[in-house]
Amino acid sequence: MLRKNCSAPSAQLTMTDIKSLLRLLAGNHVEFIVVGGVAGTAHGSARNTLDLDVAYRRSSENVSRLVACLSPHAPYLRGAPPGLPFRFDAETVLSGLNFTLQTDLGSLDLLGEITGGGGYEDLLPDSIELQIYGVTCRCLKLRRLIEVKRAAGRPRDFDAVAELEALLEEKRNE
Amino acid sequence: MVSTLPRHRTEDRPGESAALPPDPVIEVYKKDIDRSLLRENLKLTVEQRLDQLMEFQRAAEELQRAVRAAHHD
Repeated sequence: MLRKNCSAPSAQLTMTDIKSLLRLLAGNHVEFIVVGGVAGTAHGSARNTLDLDVAYRRSSENVSRLVACLSPHAPYLRGAPPGLPFRFDAETVLSGLNFTLQTDLGSLDLLGEITGGGGYEDLLPDSIELQIYGVTCRCLKLRRLIEVKRAAGRPRDFDAVAELEALLEEKRNE
Repeated sequence: MVSTLPRHRTEDRPGESAALPPDPVIEVYKKDIDRSLLRENLKLTVEQRLDQLMEFQRAAEELQRAVRAAHHD
């Protein structure tokens, strides 16, 4: 079936291997919750998205696991000029918060907090566990996904929020 | 509460899909939503939905490559 394009990328499209990224993170016991467009797709959205957004737990143990499993995949700041002194290590992640990365598996946004949603611990009660691609990972519930997108209040999200709310209605009618 | 679901489901209990207070701006956007696409997607498993997204990305990338090549001819 057709899929609607939600936002035109400024540069060329780059496929994100969602399957491999989820397997990588979950297989290495990284604590994370899928949020954003891919969470919308998991719930049934028909919109296109080019990156995987995850809210990660900011404990030093979890960040160490995150860094260890992602490091072999050449993480670099997406859109930044090449050659910057960017070092993807636990110190960098814990000193920062949100990172938009390009990896050799595609675009991955690591979010320490999301607008209107807070951090991993805040989102955890509103997440569900999915058995997918042979691993178990968590995904933000549809209702919460709508709430955080509403809270962000970005005009470019209006269409996406409308679609997610329509999905909620369709699920009610199932 | 942390919950576990079968792979084809993304909602876990009655009330999870309860309506949110309507937002008048969103209600306007909602009129243009193609619900037939959503209904088709709801028939799929979560894994099939994500596979479909990656397949779309792959096709879009291929299309973009072809357009670039055509411009260079």
